[in-house]
Amino acid sequence: MTSSLPSPSSDVPKSPGRPPLWRRRSLIVGGALVAAGFVAGRMLTTRLGRNRAPVFIARNQRYDSSLVRTIHDGLIATGIQPASFQGKRVLLKPNLVEPNRDIPHLTTHPVVIVSAAEVFRRWGADVRVGEAPGHVRDTELALVESGVQDALAAADLEFCDLNYEETGWKDNGGRASKLKGFHLPRSIVEADVVVSLPKLKTHHWVGATVAMKNLYGTLPGIKYGWPKNVLHHAGIPQTVYDINASLPKTIAIVDAIDCMEGDGPIMGSLKPMGLLLIGPAVASVDATACRIMGIVPERIPYMQLAADNLGPIDDAWIDQCGESWRPLVNPFQILDRPHLRPLQAQAGPLTS
Amino acid sequence: MDWLSDSLDNLARSPLLGYAARQRPATEPTAMAALALSGHQRPEAALVAARWLMSQQAPDGSVGIREGEPEPRWPTSLALLVWSRCRDGAPADDSERLATAIERGLKWLLECKGHALAKDANLGHDTSLVAWPWVEGTHSWIEPTALSVLALKASGHASHSRTREAVRLLIDRLLPDGGANYGNTVVLGQVLRPHLLPTGLALCALAGEDDSSGRIAKSLRLLRDSLSERTPVLSLAWSVLGLAAHRALPGEEDRWLDAAARRATRDDENRWRMALLCLAALGGNALGTAVAATPLDRAATGGSK
Repeated sequence: MTSSLPSPSSDVPKSPGRPPLWRRRSLIVGGALVAAGFVAGRMLTTRLGRNRAPVFIARNQRYDSSLVRTIHDGLIATGIQPASFQGKRVLLKPNLVEPNRDIPHLTTHPVVIVSAAEVFRRWGADVRVGEAPGHVRDTELALVESGVQDALAAADLEFCDLNYEETGWKDNGGRASKLKGFHLPRSIVEADVVVSLPKLKTHHWVGATVAMKNLYGTLPGIKYGWPKNVLHHAGIPQTVYDINASLPKTIAIVDAIDCMEGDGPIMGSLKPMGLLLIGPAVASVDATACRIMGIVPERIPYMQLAADNLGPIDDAWIDQCGESWRPLVNPFQILDRPHLRPLQAQAGPLTS
Repeated sequence: MDWLSDSLDNLARSPLLGYAARQRPATEPTAMAALALSGHQRPEAALVAARWLMSQQAPDGSVGIREGEPEPRWPTSLALLVWSRCRDGAPADDSERLATAIERGLKWLLECKGHALAKDANLGHDTSLVAWPWVEGTHSWIEPTALSVLALKASGHASHSRTREAVRLLIDRLLPDGGANYGNTVVLGQVLRPHLLPTGLALCALAGEDDSSGRIAKSLRLLRDSLSERTPVLSLAWSVLGLAAHRALPGEEDRWLDAAARRATRDDENRWRMALLCLAALGGNALGTAVAATPLDRAATGGSK
C-alpha cells in the first residue's frame, strides 16, 4: 500500500521558520478559527445573524497521485490562512477504527494523511498524527493493518496513541448530553488545530460518518472503553455534537476517494467516488458530503444539533468552492432498516 | 530468546511502567511487568510492583488506570491477579497486606456489574448476561470480563456465581466460526470479524471450561492460523497466552516472539510491550489457568507445549 505513496509536489509555497517546541496550553472551544486568524473573516461571513461557511470539493482524485496540491488549494479556497499556521501545533486525526489490510476502504488512506501533513508542514506547523482506534486495543495492529505505520515512518511523522496518553479535562462545550466534560488526550489538549481526516462512509446506526463522527476517535479508550460505550450510553448524536463543540479548533479534510456504502462503518462495501471535501466548518462539510451520498443531512440527529453551532448545514448558507455537489450526487446504499430509510433524499438503493 | 534475560533485567530495575516512555506509571503495564517478573522467578522485583499497586488501591478496594487517575476502575482485576500471584512466598508482612488488598479488591470487583440491556433483535449476543464493563454504568464487554474471570479464578473463586455467568457471557460472545470481536458478535444481521487480542484474552479466561458450542476449539484454530512473525506485540502476546492456557501452542511461538521482540526493541522503548512478551514467553502456565488440551484441540494441532 505504501509503495504507491506519491512524492509531495514541490509547487506548494513554504512558510519560513521552525515550529516551536510542543508545549501545554489551555483549550479553546471550537468554531473560533476566524478569531484565531486561521480563516479569513470574509469566508465565514455573517448575514442576518447566521454564519455562512465554505466547502471545497475536488473530483477525479486518486491515491496514486499527489494530493498535496489539491489539499493546499482546497484549504486556501476555503479561506485558510497559511501564515497563521507558522509555529502552530496541528494534530491530524484519521479514521483507523478497525483496520484490515484487505479492506482499505474502511480507513483513511495513508496518502491523504501524508499529503495533508505535508501541506501544514510547509506552512510551518508542527504536525502530528493521532488516533484512538475505537475497536482495537492493539494500536500497533491498527497502524500496520491500515498501512499508516509505514507511511508515517517514510514521512518522518510522529504518531500519538490517543488511547493511552495522559489526559486533561475539558468541560462539555455542547451540553446536548448529560456528560459534564471530556477526558482529552494530551496531544489533543495541546493542539492548536485538530484536522479531522475521515473516510466517507455510511453508518448503520446514525446514517453517515464523516468529519464530526470521526472525532469520536479523539477520546481515549482507557477512559471510555473499547468500544467507547460511555458515549453510546450518553447518546451517540448528543455526544458527537458535544465532542465537536469541546475540541480545539477543527478543520475537515474528507477522504471520499474510495468510500464505504451499505453496512458501514465496518462491514460495508467499496464505493468509489474520487472526491476530496475540505472546509473549516465541520458541520457544513458533513452536510455537503451527506447530500452527495443521497442522504438528507437535516434528518440526521447529530447534524441537527450541530446546525449553525458548528457551521450551517442548510445548503443556502454554504458557499461551494471547486466542484458543485449536485452533479456529483451518487446515492450510497444504506441498510434496509426503519431507522435509516427516512434519511434518503429519494427512495434510493437499500441493502440487507 | 536472547532478548528475554535483558528485558527481564530491564523490568526488574524499574518495574513501574507507563503505557509509553515518559508517562506516569499505570496499572495495566505495571501489572504485566509484575506477572512476568513473578513468573520468571524474580519475586523481589515483582513485589515492588505489587506494593505500588497496593498504594494505588482506593478505600473502596478498586484500582484506577494510572497514578492520580482512580477512574475508571477496570484495572482492579489486573491488580488482583498480581497480588494473588505474588502472595505465595512473599515475606510475612507483605503477605498479610496482600491478603487484605485482595479481600478489598474482590469486594469491589464482585459488586461491579455491567449494565444489562433489554433484548434487542439488532444484536446477536445475549444482552441480559451480566459481567464486567470497561466503565461502570455501561454494558459488559469481553476484555474486562476476561480479566475479571482470571482474577477470580486466581483468587480461588472459580465457582462463584459471578464467575460462572461471566464464563457463559464469554462463550456467548465468541463468534460462530471462532474468535472474538471487541465484544459484539452479530449486529443488524451481520456477523462481525474476529480480532486476535480479545480472542486470546477470552481463551485465557476460558481455560478448563466446558463448551458444547465448539466455539473455543474454533477460536484456538483461528489463532493458530492467524499468527505469524509479523503479528504485532499485544495481539501476539495475548494470543500466545490464550493458546498456552489450553496447551495448544503450535511450537512456532518462540520464533514469533523473537521477531516481535526485535521489532519492539528497534521501534521504541515501549516497556509495556516488552513486559507482555516476557509474560507470553512463559508459555504453559503464565496466568495460572492452563489446562490439558481438549481432545478436539489436540487432534487439530498434533502439538502442544
